[in-house]
Amino acid sequence: MSHGFEINPAKGPEVAESGILARISQWMAIFNEWVMLVSTIALLGAAGILTLGVLFRYFLKISTDWQDEASVFLLVGATFACCAYVQSYRGHVGIDALASILPASVNRIRKMIVDIASFFFCSFFTWKSWTLFHEALVGGQTTSSSFAPPLWIPYSLMAAGMTLLSLQLLLQVLTHFSRKEVAP
Amino acid sequence: MSVATIGILYGVGTLIVMFSGMPIAFALGSVATLFMAIFMPGSALDTITQNVYEEMASITLLSIPLFILKGAAIGKSRAGADLYSAVHAWMNKIPGGLGIANVFACALFAAMAGSSPATCSAIGSAGIPEMRQRGYSAGFAAGLIAAGGTLGILLPPSITMILFAVAAEQSLGRLFLAGIGPGVLLVVLFSAYAAWQYKREYKVALDVYQGGGIKSAYLDDLHLTLADKTRMLPRVLPFVILLTGVMVALYGGYATPSETAGLGAILALVLVAVVYRVWRPKDVKIIFTSTLRESTMLMLIIGMSLLYSYVMSYLHISQSAAEWIVAMHLSKWLLLATILVFVVILGFFLPPVSIILMTAPIILPPLKAAGFDLVWFGVVMTVVMEMGLIHPPVGLNIFVIKNIAPDIPLKDVIWGTVPFVLLMMFAVVLICVFPGIATWFPDLVMGVAGK
Repeated sequence: MSHGFEINPAKGPEVAESGILARISQWMAIFNEWVMLVSTIALLGAAGILTLGVLFRYFLKISTDWQDEASVFLLVGATFACCAYVQSYRGHVGIDALASILPASVNRIRKMIVDIASFFFCSFFTWKSWTLFHEALVGGQTTSSSFAPPLWIPYSLMAAGMTLLSLQLLLQVLTHFSRKEVAP
Repeated sequence: MSVATIGILYGVGTLIVMFSGMPIAFALGSVATLFMAIFMPGSALDTITQNVYEEMASITLLSIPLFILKGAAIGKSRAGADLYSAVHAWMNKIPGGLGIANVFACALFAAMAGSSPATCSAIGSAGIPEMRQRGYSAGFAAGLIAAGGTLGILLPPSITMILFAVAAEQSLGRLFLAGIGPGVLLVVLFSAYAAWQYKREYKVALDVYQGGGIKSAYLDDLHLTLADKTRMLPRVLPFVILLTGVMVALYGGYATPSETAGLGAILALVLVAVVYRVWRPKDVKIIFTSTLRESTMLMLIIGMSLLYSYVMSYLHISQSAAEWIVAMHLSKWLLLATILVFVVILGFFLPPVSIILMTAPIILPPLKAAGFDLVWFGVVMTVVMEMGLIHPPVGLNIFVIKNIAPDIPLKDVIWGTVPFVLLMMFAVVLICVFPGIATWFPDLVMGVAGK
């Protein structure tokens, strides 16, 4: 766990070199920055709610049975919302032992295949997340606690976050195809 | 198809996908989804998102981003350098005191920030140049900081412990307390080695000087007045109070672990704003961005690891593997040794988070059947994973040291960590022979487990 410590932090999000893809990548990067801002507020909100919970319980003797679920919703939302931002910096860690062994041309193909496979998995997950959200919304599903907030709230955050992640991966896949071969 | 065949396919498939370089979270999720599609009823695929959400929506697990926020707030300030300076000033007169001060500063910072690489970076940035200026060999200085940093995943609040508590269904409070004894043991062992190595290097420096050679900085006397020493305290005390306050809130019954995480994060943000004036949006943005990047990456791995474990359990792979291990009738200690070697090998490729969540369903039942206390094992496993932070091929702390002290050759950093890896192995043996090192403190504070 590096707790925010990065040995070689990326200078910026990965974007296509030129053309329409570059423009979409830039829009996506700007959108991700806004999402990060909202997620920051959610993270701070969760910390604040938990802190207030302690203070309310001991000083005002007020029960805060809603605090855990509100914090969970905020933190789950922040986690999924930031997935695309993290992917834009290639921040989801993987085992890169092969990358240092393979020749550059093979490595390029490996990266492309990995991105395509990641895109398919995340798209499938996105589809199932929206299905889950729809079922929770239509069925009026709630959590099992006495506070019983509707489950469509966290499901929608998960689905929206995974949609963004899938779009980010699609952009990265398309960027592979748009890249011109550089003569050796 | 037999469970064994499915299990082998599952394992081999996971290795292939992971070594392709696919992000660990997506790799685990993809393999789990593929096996769900092939070997589980068709309706199972409809539940993958629900599974991931339900596993992730645990308030204990979700305290991780908040502990990371607390660590990032402290880690991004000058708290580490100030802490180091204060400890150094007060331990200056002890032989080898500079090295010991580095170990103590690492332990205190690790307990506040909860991060190994952040501890290495914060304390090492100030400690390594100071040690080298005072004549310490580069390898010794680098090894000391790399090893001191590993205390970050052992001393509470440790994210590794949180994951183990969830995976093994053990009390988080008890696990946190169980890490303190071994943490103190490692501090003592590292300090003793620092004092011994200091004497060796001092003697060599003295012999060279007496033989007409150059006078090493080792032989210079550093004098600090009481005023010098007390000047350091006002900046450090608030963080020590934060550390103590968080522990009192947790163990005094005032707050749950997740509330402690929230409270700690808010207090850390307030403290860095007041003490270090880190309150401007651009300063605070760095703290939150790095927190969200790290916690998102980590939480996604956790969510997918739990899905992976669910599939493994549904297909009876984990149960069969556990039964197979039990049927081998290994002696208690051979079983433990085999499992720990397995953990070390996995540590070559995987972060602790994945190792714990992926292996827990397989290794914990045999260990429980053999009569091991799982809280105790959680501590032993954590110390073993700590070793992985300072030995190749992964050795994250080695690369952090290389980053903050680029002029020290990698070879020297690696050789500098070797004595500490051996000390950690010795600590594991001690904890095995005297389990009370880990279990005494939680038993004292929370009562004997199961009674």
